[in-house]
Amino acid sequence: MYRVLLLVILVLTGGTVTACDPVSEGNTELFDLSQPAGDIVLEVSGAIAVRNGENGAQFDMAMLRGLSTVSLSTGTSVTDGSSDFEGFLLRDFLSGLGATGTIVRASALNDYVVDIPMSDIERFDVIVAHSMDGEPLSLQDKGPLWIVYPRDAHPELQDIRYDYRWVWQLNALEVQ
Amino acid sequence: MIIRKGALGIVLPSVTIGIFAVLIAFSLVRLSATEEDMRIEATQNMLWVIARSQVASLKLQTAASTHVRGMDTPVEVERRLNNFLSHHNILNHGPQRRQMVEMGFADALDTIEAQQAELRQIVSELETGDETSLSRLHAILSPYDADLARAANKAMTAEWDSLGSKLDNSRQEVSHIILSLIVIALTGAGMTFYLVRATRSARSRAQLLESEKALSQLLVTSSGEAIIAVDRERRSTLLNDAAATLFAITAEKTLHRRLTAISGIFSEERVESVINRALDGHSVVLRDLPFSRKADVSAIYLELRCFPLRDGTGVIGAIMFFSDVTEQYYARRDLSERRDYLEEQVALRTKELHAALERERSATAIYRNFAAMISHQFRTPLAIVDSSLQRLMRRSNRLEPDEVLERGGQARSAIRNLVQLVDSTLDIARLEAGQIEQNSVAWDLDRLIADVVDRQANEMPDRTVRYVSGGPSLVLCDPVYTEHIVVNLLSNAAKYAPPGTAVDVEMVSVDGYAGCRIINEGHIDPDDREHLFERFFRGKNASDKKGVGIGLYMAHSLAQLQYGKLSFEILPDSRIAFTLVLPLAEAACPAGL
Repeated sequence: MYRVLLLVILVLTGGTVTACDPVSEGNTELFDLSQPAGDIVLEVSGAIAVRNGENGAQFDMAMLRGLSTVSLSTGTSVTDGSSDFEGFLLRDFLSGLGATGTIVRASALNDYVVDIPMSDIERFDVIVAHSMDGEPLSLQDKGPLWIVYPRDAHPELQDIRYDYRWVWQLNALEVQ
Repeated sequence: MIIRKGALGIVLPSVTIGIFAVLIAFSLVRLSATEEDMRIEATQNMLWVIARSQVASLKLQTAASTHVRGMDTPVEVERRLNNFLSHHNILNHGPQRRQMVEMGFADALDTIEAQQAELRQIVSELETGDETSLSRLHAILSPYDADLARAANKAMTAEWDSLGSKLDNSRQEVSHIILSLIVIALTGAGMTFYLVRATRSARSRAQLLESEKALSQLLVTSSGEAIIAVDRERRSTLLNDAAATLFAITAEKTLHRRLTAISGIFSEERVESVINRALDGHSVVLRDLPFSRKADVSAIYLELRCFPLRDGTGVIGAIMFFSDVTEQYYARRDLSERRDYLEEQVALRTKELHAALERERSATAIYRNFAAMISHQFRTPLAIVDSSLQRLMRRSNRLEPDEVLERGGQARSAIRNLVQLVDSTLDIARLEAGQIEQNSVAWDLDRLIADVVDRQANEMPDRTVRYVSGGPSLVLCDPVYTEHIVVNLLSNAAKYAPPGTAVDVEMVSVDGYAGCRIINEGHIDPDDREHLFERFFRGKNASDKKGVGIGLYMAHSLAQLQYGKLSFEILPDSRIAFTLVLPLAEAACPAGL
């Protein structure tokens, strides 16, 4: 309800849907966040430096799609064969937000919550995917966002202890 | 034994290493299988996925009924629907669907899939108080919930079964690996033991070798024998003190010298060939090698033993051992001489003994023959005498004087023969006993022969004897024996010559000897010829003749006794001739007679 109201306010105030400038890898330059115009699909809270709301940073899909896009082709534990994912690099995203912490708590629309060590994000090119095989991830499937590990490139990731960190229907991150 | 031990030394470690390799490979295969099994696939997390789906379904129904009662927003219901569909999608795709199909829940998934559109419609059109739609929602989802509950049970039991069998496998694999490790440990222990033993034995062998080397060093330097080692160029590589003394060279000039420069003995052909043979790889011993350092010193005798020196590749030189064997040489020579002398003596004695034995044997044979012959020859005249006397006795009352005379004459003649036989037998006995003495005098042989021929002519009127006298005839002889010989020869000739043929007697004279030759027709078997003068020998032609085989023997012996000679020959006209020669009286006793 609150989110719908917020959305309405944003639209009414003619807030532009502009994402921050994409930052290059390894760059510690922080995002300059605007207010989200559409439905908020991801909220980041906790130990972050950049915020655009009371609880932290909020993003609509347009803002996320405006981030520097990376592609990743990998198999998953719940699908057959290899799939092409598109999304943004979680490492760059968190550093753009000035995140400082050791754990990122990821929550999903389906009430799934799991802690991802920051070391995973540093070691692997973990992405937050918004599309799979050229199609946007659906809310009725694993959308809108899915944390995807480069499973095929690193054999050690082919393990159930990593599999449970693949959060689909992601809608919130909390840096601790 | 050494070969077998060596082979064992290679085979045993190889086999052990082989066992190691096999066991380690086996263990690795088992371990990797175990490692593979230990991977847990996310698909095995079916229980969680199913449970979440069921919860999503229940939450959707709860949200819908709350909304129908006016206590929740349509947004929340839609969120729950999305959530539910999201979970359904997970279940209905990829490995999850395969598992569900395997467990027999394909229909349940397909039904929901087919009813998706209806579900969305119900949710989008759901209003507060719309119990009908709510019922429809329950009707769709309730069977699905029941199926999911059963699927959860099945997934749980399947996972536990799979886990249990995996554990069984792993346990078996681990026990195999443990067994392998035990065997590897045991083999390793055996190997270690073997290595320790081999090391120890190698060390002790090395020590033994060291001590043997030291001993040989000691032997070479302190040996009484002269020792020289040479390389293939025949230059000395070792020369001990004894050798330096033997060949009179100074100690500092012992090495790398040509052998020929060390001593002249090495130029000798025998020594050179020995060294050549040693360099060819043979061990050679040369005995009794005379050696003298200076011309005026008497030679000593050396024994040279020469052996090849080898390394791994072949003969690299030779080593020579000289020992002074002079004493042994002389001792051996004396011994050998003494032995030769003794052998000679023994041979001589043996020969004599053999001769004596032979004589004894022939004497035995002779006397055996003689006895048989004598008994036969004696019996004949005795039979004649006996028969004459019988006749005389039987006809004693009507005997004519002439008949008495005739019978008596026959008996006497037989007795005379007997007496002759006895005489002959006695003669030979005397002759053999050396009891016959001869009294040689100068005697006219011509006259003696003429007398005998005349007498014989009377005794054998049917045999012509032609005698041609003449020539020197004064010989040195015992007239009795000479007459005996001539009578014997003439009677033999008369006895054996074919009837009607003449017997010739002629005088002969040769170089200080004179004598007569009695010639007659006849034949003497060639086998018999060389035995004619042996005693008791009777030729093949004498079997039907009277006699004991001593006439010619006596004649021969008597001729020798008088320093004369009786010989036999076949003349070119194949007549038989016996020749008696006696020394001429002038030649034998030029002064006396």
